[in-house]
Amino acid sequence: MARIGVFTCWCGENIARTVDVEKVAAAVGELPGVRCSLNYKYMCSEPGQALIAEKIASEGLDAVVVASCSPHMHLRTFRKTAASAGVNPYRVEMANIREHCSWVHHDRDTATQKATDLIRMSVAKVLWDEPLEPIRVPVTRRALVVGGGVAGIQAALDIADAGYEVVLVEREPSIGGKMAGLSETFPTLDCSQCILTPRMVEVGQHPRIKLYTYSEVEQVEGYIGNFTITIRKKARYVDIKSCTGCGDCWNCCPIKRNPSEFDYGLGMRPAIYMPFPQAVPARPVIDKETCTRIKKGKGCGLCEKKCLTKSIHFDDQDALVTEQVGAVVVSTGFKLYSIGKEQEDGKTSGYGEYGYGKYKDVVTSLQFERLLSASGPTGGRVVRPSDGKEPKNVVFISCVGSRDDAKGLPYCSKICCMYTAKHAMLYKHKVHDGQAHVFYMDIRAGGKNYEEFVRRAIEQDGARYYRGRVSRIYEENGKLIVRGADTLAGAPVTVEADLVVLAAAMVPAPGVRDLARKLNVGYDEYGFLLESHPKLRPVETSAAGVFICGACQAPKDIPESVAQASAAASKALIMFGHAELTREPEVARIDEKNCAACFACIRTCPYHAIDRADVLTPRGVFVKRTARVNPGLCMGCGTCVAVCPSKSADLAGFTEQEIYAEVEALV
Amino acid sequence: MTAQFEPKIVAYVCNWCTYLGADLAGTNRLEYPPNVRILRLPCTGRIDFNLIVKAFEMGADAVLVSGCHPGDCHYTAGNYHARRRWMLFRRLLDTLGIETERVHFAWISAAEGKKWQQVIGEITEKTRQMGPYAAYQELSEAAK
Amino acid sequence: MTEPGAMTQRLRETCRRLLEEGKVQVVIGWGGAGRLASPTQAESPAPLSFPTQAEPHAPLSGTPAPRPVFITRAEDAEKLEWNDRCFANLTVYLTRKEVKALGKAAVVVKGCDERSLVVLEKESQIERGSLHAIGMVCEGVGTPREAKCAGCEVRVPRFADETIGEAEGAAASATAVASRLDGLMAKSPAERWAFWTAEFARCVKCYACRQVCPLCYCERCIADKNRPVAIETSASARGNFAWHITRAFHLAARCIGCGECSRACPAGIPLGLLNQSLAQATEEDFGYRPGMDPKAEPVFGNWSPADKEDFIR
Repeated sequence: MARIGVFTCWCGENIARTVDVEKVAAAVGELPGVRCSLNYKYMCSEPGQALIAEKIASEGLDAVVVASCSPHMHLRTFRKTAASAGVNPYRVEMANIREHCSWVHHDRDTATQKATDLIRMSVAKVLWDEPLEPIRVPVTRRALVVGGGVAGIQAALDIADAGYEVVLVEREPSIGGKMAGLSETFPTLDCSQCILTPRMVEVGQHPRIKLYTYSEVEQVEGYIGNFTITIRKKARYVDIKSCTGCGDCWNCCPIKRNPSEFDYGLGMRPAIYMPFPQAVPARPVIDKETCTRIKKGKGCGLCEKKCLTKSIHFDDQDALVTEQVGAVVVSTGFKLYSIGKEQEDGKTSGYGEYGYGKYKDVVTSLQFERLLSASGPTGGRVVRPSDGKEPKNVVFISCVGSRDDAKGLPYCSKICCMYTAKHAMLYKHKVHDGQAHVFYMDIRAGGKNYEEFVRRAIEQDGARYYRGRVSRIYEENGKLIVRGADTLAGAPVTVEADLVVLAAAMVPAPGVRDLARKLNVGYDEYGFLLESHPKLRPVETSAAGVFICGACQAPKDIPESVAQASAAASKALIMFGHAELTREPEVARIDEKNCAACFACIRTCPYHAIDRADVLTPRGVFVKRTARVNPGLCMGCGTCVAVCPSKSADLAGFTEQEIYAEVEALV
Repeated sequence: MTAQFEPKIVAYVCNWCTYLGADLAGTNRLEYPPNVRILRLPCTGRIDFNLIVKAFEMGADAVLVSGCHPGDCHYTAGNYHARRRWMLFRRLLDTLGIETERVHFAWISAAEGKKWQQVIGEITEKTRQMGPYAAYQELSEAAK
Repeated sequence: MTEPGAMTQRLRETCRRLLEEGKVQVVIGWGGAGRLASPTQAESPAPLSFPTQAEPHAPLSGTPAPRPVFITRAEDAEKLEWNDRCFANLTVYLTRKEVKALGKAAVVVKGCDERSLVVLEKESQIERGSLHAIGMVCEGVGTPREAKCAGCEVRVPRFADETIGEAEGAAASATAVASRLDGLMAKSPAERWAFWTAEFARCVKCYACRQVCPLCYCERCIADKNRPVAIETSASARGNFAWHITRAFHLAARCIGCGECSRACPAGIPLGLLNQSLAQATEEDFGYRPGMDPKAEPVFGNWSPADKEDFIR
């Protein structure tokens, strides 16, 4: 027979004022299995806990019920108390006679009766509570970082500097992300590449960072502490180990004019090209779509002939490699909303009326960054893409795609107000007689020194701000006529612009949903990855061991991306702090003898924590198939138990027997 | 003098939303009738339909099943599976002539202490008016 | 239209061929073990009468319908029969250990039975590729025709490895399938409760309904579990309700409507009505009909933002 101790708390006056605790303690003392029943003023206090420990010893208790506050307050406390006194911490139950009883009912008799009933239910449950041991999962103390932008770089450096190996996978031929293409960054107007490239070099040279560029995550298997990642190394056609980056190849390439990805189409690059001069690794890559030799299988081959280190290999193939890691950090960043075109997800296309794609001089904010950038296609001169002339009137339009239900993106992209102010300032610094016109809805400048920065654009650099939207843009006599509104003046505004810059919305990078599915991470309707809790757990996800940071989670600027990256790194480092992970043992299990292998549980499990498995005899002879729970992944929701028709699945801590006992004690 | 009928209400609630919502009602001292007995489960996904039947067998006059709002499930999807289960289970109860007005479902979040108070108040009062679930209790009498 | 007699012949030939060529080790079909010696007798013997609510203790009379046979030798193929009294859904045997031990099986199915194969495969109970399904084109079973035959859409089995019979002619009688259910649902809940209380009063917990159902394949049924006792095994009112609620709901969005449970019940309880009402709800709410489309995603295990919640506060 169980030896249960019931401890009823007064909680000072909180419980005792309404519930007759002495009567309750006396009543529950008569329940089957109860060896002792006491009441005390403050069970959670030191003397209270000492009382429990003392009774455990003197009465030989093997289970404890504390009738007091909510388990959310003190279940952990009493579990520790029980454990230190030798009772398995999972044979501890709490009857909530405060939040659910004394605080919400005022009739003494009914409250006392309810308290007695609640304790009786807890006693019935604890009778059946199984002693459980924490689950230990070994941890591979290596991390995978997906995405080599500023967030990925920060996370990789933090983890590597802490002494653990990092595998950094980047889809483009170089790390650096969007930040590598920016000119100067707000609010400091630091040269973007000047602050980023040292970090990039650090990553490239770090002894503990294994860098895979021009590569993607192909497959993810395993679970927290034990992931097996398959990486596809796309064919670069250049051996980056033997290549010295001398440039002979791209200088002799006859296919010179392909739109440059790095310049968002504003500049040109050859078929074999270096992504940008400060690329890490500083090695070229061949675009197989435009290279004559690769497309036709013969011909050209000039670069191969020129290459003194024989690093060009036209027969290069994609390769698959596997890496074992314990934690994954996702930092895949963003791209800009496709203005004027159908979105990937087929939602409404928008802003065709702005003429993007139709008029050369309507550009996106990222394209404008390339015009501003000293290493850009125009050498840092702000000129019109159409005729190369200096624009004297530039219109900047905010919220193109953002904050617009009709276009499918009701959210604010957070950074555009700031970079638009920055663009206005930088433009003025380069074109002293130029005029910047900004059409805005609101100004969001909430960061440190941000508001002051925007004021500078207006007060020192003379940017004109119109509070209103632009209805359309059309060309007339070589100018772009921008028709908008100035709602503060209460009048329409028309600007004859030489150049228009659209602050397009930030959307998650393409392919992020596929990656999320591989990792079993959730995403919202826009594709932003889901955090465990928006306030308290912003970098964790529903997939244990997978963390997110940067713009893939939500639009954000560089300081926030860097902060989140360090946060994600710290979560990985918490895992790596021990050779083993300890998990709460309230997880599901399957009675394999009875399992009918219908796999309804596998279909339902939100964490993909259940697999198909074979039951074998000790000699390895096949007996039957079964479902099997991975205790390293199971989060203990119990949905599998509810859907299992034979009830072979059960949930430790909330087993069928325990719950039924609780229900049957209702009478 | 006949004592007023006091209905027995059983509430199966999820640990992360409704249980905390009920805690919040307590913290805010929101008064409600003392007829309800709460059973704590990790997630509404765990709540098998059999538990609803069991509660009636054990003498409950009404049953409430409550958890996190769709999209907010602590375990991401448990409440979605529960919702589907309830959609069809209600139809079966209806076909059998089991009083579906005695089976209640709610989404009550950890912030909705007031909603907990309201829902329990409504259910208790409604069940008091409906009277005891004599039909199911008679089944149990026959079992004795 | 192919005569049943001719179809029986074709069936026997097929069985012989499959066994002789070693393609299968057992053919599961309908037949008589000697008692129904001649095909003519098998064609229309007086059907077996069942107890009714009005006469729950009426004695059985008539000749049994062809029953399941397991042909493992080519010479026994003669035992196979095909007629409009081949009620049994033979797919129930595919999940039995003893049958699996016989080797690769061929199973004879009507279109309605075949729906079980779709569900069984989805639930990983059979591997469709390792099974040989012999489909029989069917005009309906029973005299008068079973309720399920009215408006049948699957007279010609759709996924069989080979089909016997030609498809032509109209569907069986056009009596509305749901009429008995409609009648029940037109009553008040209290009347429905009284109806089922009276019906379940006759349930003796023989579990024939479970044994004959192809989708009740759990070796250790929840009713057999006693830690805890989820469903009382006694034939009490409470225990009987618990059992039938459980079985009906375990079949929710899975039951293919073969009607065997109702037919097998020795107490004549119209169990199929429970399954039918859930099948109706499943189709209304999810557009899903179990066993009709092998590619359709099952209802449970999936969810949609469009799932109704008007009943949830």
